[in-house]
Amino acid sequence: MSEIFSKVKNEIAAVLDKYPNGRSAVMDVLRIAQEANGGHLTKEALGEIAALLDMRPVEVNAAAAFYTMYRIQKPAGRHHIWVCRNISCSLLGAEHIIAYLERALRIKTGETTADDKFTLSTAECLGSCGTAPMMQIDDDYYENLTESKIDEILAEKGLK
Amino acid sequence: MVTVKINGKEITVADNTLILEAARDAGCEVPTFCYQADLMGLGSCRMCLVEIEGQKKLQPSCITPVLHGMSILTDSSTVTAARAGVLEFLLANHAMDCPVCDKAGECELQDMVYKYGPAKGAHAETKFKFHEKDYVLSPVIIKNSNRCVQCTKCVRVCREVVGVGVLGSVGRGDHQEETSFLKGLLDCDQDGNCIEVCPVGCFMRLPYRYKARQWDLKSADTVCPYCATGCRMVIEERDGVVVRARAQHGVGVNSETLCSRGRFGFDFIGNAERLTTPLVRKDGVLVPSTWEEAVAVIKENLSAFEGSRIGGVASPRLTNEELYLFQKLFREVLGSPNVDSSARWDSSGVEAFIKAAGMNEGGVSVFDCMDSDAVFIIGSQVSEENPVTDYIIRRISSGRRMNLVIASPRAMKLDSSAQTVVRHNPATEGALLKAIILTLNENKLSVSAGINAIKETKLTDCVASSGVSLEVIKRIADGLKNAESISILVGTEFLRFPEGIDGLDLLKDVCRKSLGKKLRILPLLDRCNQRGAWEMGVHPGFGTGYRAIAGRGMGTHAMLEAATRRGLDAMYVAGVDIASMYPDAGHAREALSALKFLVVQDMFLTDTTRLADVVLPSSAFAEKDGAFTNQEGRVQTIARLKNPPGKAKRDGDIIRAIGQSFERSFGPDNASLVFDEIRREAEMYKEVSLVFNNKRNIDNKLDNKEALVKASSALARGFSAWNGGAPSSEETGDYPFTLMTGNHLFHSGALSSNSASLSGLLRAAVVEISNEDADEMGVKSGSLVRVKGMTHESDMKVIVRRGSKKGVAFIAENFADTPVNRFFSRGRSGARVSITRLG
Amino acid sequence: MSGKFDIVGLVRKVIFSDFARGLAITLKYNVSRSITLKYPDDEKWVPYVRFRGAHTLNRDPSGKELCVACELCAKACPTKCITVIPEEDDTGRGIADRVAKVWKVDLVRCMFCGFCEDACPTRAIRLGREYELACTDISSTVRFKDALLKPQPIHEGIAGGVVAKARFEKTEAGIRVVADTGIIKKRAL
Repeated sequence: MSEIFSKVKNEIAAVLDKYPNGRSAVMDVLRIAQEANGGHLTKEALGEIAALLDMRPVEVNAAAAFYTMYRIQKPAGRHHIWVCRNISCSLLGAEHIIAYLERALRIKTGETTADDKFTLSTAECLGSCGTAPMMQIDDDYYENLTESKIDEILAEKGLK
Repeated sequence: MVTVKINGKEITVADNTLILEAARDAGCEVPTFCYQADLMGLGSCRMCLVEIEGQKKLQPSCITPVLHGMSILTDSSTVTAARAGVLEFLLANHAMDCPVCDKAGECELQDMVYKYGPAKGAHAETKFKFHEKDYVLSPVIIKNSNRCVQCTKCVRVCREVVGVGVLGSVGRGDHQEETSFLKGLLDCDQDGNCIEVCPVGCFMRLPYRYKARQWDLKSADTVCPYCATGCRMVIEERDGVVVRARAQHGVGVNSETLCSRGRFGFDFIGNAERLTTPLVRKDGVLVPSTWEEAVAVIKENLSAFEGSRIGGVASPRLTNEELYLFQKLFREVLGSPNVDSSARWDSSGVEAFIKAAGMNEGGVSVFDCMDSDAVFIIGSQVSEENPVTDYIIRRISSGRRMNLVIASPRAMKLDSSAQTVVRHNPATEGALLKAIILTLNENKLSVSAGINAIKETKLTDCVASSGVSLEVIKRIADGLKNAESISILVGTEFLRFPEGIDGLDLLKDVCRKSLGKKLRILPLLDRCNQRGAWEMGVHPGFGTGYRAIAGRGMGTHAMLEAATRRGLDAMYVAGVDIASMYPDAGHAREALSALKFLVVQDMFLTDTTRLADVVLPSSAFAEKDGAFTNQEGRVQTIARLKNPPGKAKRDGDIIRAIGQSFERSFGPDNASLVFDEIRREAEMYKEVSLVFNNKRNIDNKLDNKEALVKASSALARGFSAWNGGAPSSEETGDYPFTLMTGNHLFHSGALSSNSASLSGLLRAAVVEISNEDADEMGVKSGSLVRVKGMTHESDMKVIVRRGSKKGVAFIAENFADTPVNRFFSRGRSGARVSITRLG
Repeated sequence: MSGKFDIVGLVRKVIFSDFARGLAITLKYNVSRSITLKYPDDEKWVPYVRFRGAHTLNRDPSGKELCVACELCAKACPTKCITVIPEEDDTGRGIADRVAKVWKVDLVRCMFCGFCEDACPTRAIRLGREYELACTDISSTVRFKDALLKPQPIHEGIAGGVVAKARFEKTEAGIRVVADTGIIKKRAL
């Protein structure tokens, strides 16, 4: 077991106690591992979790890939931007917002800027359809987005 | 039974039948992507939506059971519109690279869109792409996720049928990708069942990549030439090169599944190293020659020797017809009783095995076996030797309650399906069985003569020598006692170590006679026509159809023994590589060199052919007609797809040519006439039907019992239980490991080594040890170790298998560079080795 | 002939009018544009773009082979004169990683129906404007990919339907007469 895991050994054991079998604990264990590893999961971590919970590595991978808040392999930047691409936002131009952000940050969706400051992701409905289009940066919502508004927000977050 | 109306037609079906199945029974077409009869229902593709009167929404028919009085419409305008809509959505992100895709022409999506699809799509958005380039998942599987329709059949077949579960659905929504762990190389059985079930070109065969279109291919329905499961498959060729093997849904015992050997191992046929011309030894060197000369040399030399001083070994991979002619040539023309069909084990245990396994009682269907309350697998590494049998067992055992017991020194994939897993010491199957019998006998079963025979045997001795705890043995015994019907699946370990056979025979008697159980025994054999070889009489102890013969001949073992003592002058070896398969390489070589005349008929230049005086180029299964009898006793025909390369001939023609050089009337002339003669000669084959064999229809129920051989009354004399000695106790000190051998998942005998695909999966021998031993030695899978036996040592990589018995090492028998048979020596059962870490 | 004296006919005979008319026709054709071509030495016909001559395989503007070896041409061909054997090549030779290892057409069997052109999903195959297919060597009627991929002697941009000046060109195989598309005359046929 790797260093990171030994750090959170007790926490994992406590979680495992809560569930009838190892399999059911996969989401909690993934969360603990991600937190312990500084915000992302590595290939080794997924493998170790699989061995620990007696699951197939690909099943752990699938669980981690299904939920957007687990990050596999690539660490996220300091600010994580989630742009909603669901129907209400799309109708009001989420595609353009995403394209604009990609241009502004000079990265593609799913990537992180070279200075590790921003990670751009798309999300399914973030529950703010009334103020679409919208995005979430870290824990805050930014709503009724326009291009100029995005410029302001990014400048505030430190985009050069 | 419930009655439902489908498109106005009333039909009565069993309770809980799915609407889809009921509709198909009623002759109504319902298209599907994600539905597959043997897999868990999912209802994800929505192609099978039907309208049920009284319900507002359309229902997925593949997961909705019928209810009494339902009125179902499968082709109303709503349904048609829904199907078109589903297809439009599937195409929204589909790569549409049909011109490049290998599946084009046989793609279910293409067919469906052609039949049910919208003429035009409304999606103008840029398509989502998972990746730009296809990525390689394994040496035989390549993947393009952009074509995926998310039916997840690949994931389900991998988990539920193959049992490895290396594929998963990663991501969600339209970004869901069916792939391996982080898109890495698959660490799996490489059987390609994911390719077979994939309705589109998402999983593809790498060896077949960009080779042909489906309409270019000429195909033949045939039987897999590897293990004796007898999987039906179709092999396809383009311009004389066999490029693909595939299984068909609903045909044969295997339905749509095959293992890696079956699906990718056919390419030995097109190997450039195939022998194409007869070779005759002149001045010590094998030189190319003509058939006339080769046959003349054989005639001249063989007629110089007395019949009893000639021996013959024929491969259990030849067809029944060829094997029949082979033994006929020896018994009737050359006047020699010395014929055998395997170099890997001694023929003397075979009669006892046949009797104990009840092979003379006729064929036993594997599906009937799986219908039992208790299934006991012993003496076979079934997951590796007979992978498709393993799929069948896994699939059926997950669907119904049964007590599955697996006894093997090595861990295997099927263990996860078993209720009880037994790790006994190698070669102690007999002790384990006796321990079970003694436990069953605790409360003094009613009379059985057999039990008296082991009265003196102490339970504690058996338990100690098998290395299994009494508690486990009790559990097995209880399981057998509580079951109404029992099936025992027995493997080839009983042939390698015949000491166990009397235990099996006894257990059979105890279960049937004393406990009154319904018992079926299915032999699990590892060569496609091993059963056929025996039933054709290629054995020194009995004739065609297990008929008794006058005077026992010599088996391979005895022939080699005799050859070293100059008691045998000539041998005719058809397709067996004795030098590298006989468990004592040095002895085999010495014996073969001591012969005055050796004829070898083979496809490749093997160690044995190098010692031969005449080498005859023979042909592969795709180049001939005939029939194989699988382990169940199912007689299935193979069909010729192409001609042998160069001057090579079909084995039957070679045997016939040699026979005719002695006797002009030797025959019959073609495979079907030979089979007619077999029907006359062997009672078991008299009523065997070959009719269903090459039929291709979806309704062909998997179990075609007409093809099973019938019981033989011939087996009367000469078949006794094994009465060889007990296993010799071995010194263990310096050699802590017991070496086992057998087939590897990717390899089976010399045949698979000549397949480029299979060699690509595993090129060199590896030694497999348990995780306990590995931890003790501090080695990991992939570490280099030195395996040292009493007679031989060799360096190879180690593979760690979790859950195997401690102190057991396994090396597959087929690698020419690291011949495992050098570790074995004659007269010893089993070999002991030491394994040390290198570096 | 009636008994009436044909004075008009006589006059005509006297002044050789029929003869003159005949000569006039001859003269008219002598000075009018000829409908035959001085083929092949002097003039050569440049067919229209839609003409269906010998096959050609095309490349995309960046020079990649357009053919993805999908074999649809071979499937569509009514005379089965096309053989395609695909192979994998991801070096950028073609527009996809599937390219033709063998692409051959047997022009003796071909009936120039153009179905292959219609079937081609990438517009790689075109029936070109080459019509001089007579030869003394039967093997040269089977054409392979390498030859077919060479640029067309008559550029796609030329609309055709014209006669070009024939030009003698020395090649390794001997002297060939080619159409010099630099000197063309428009002619109605």
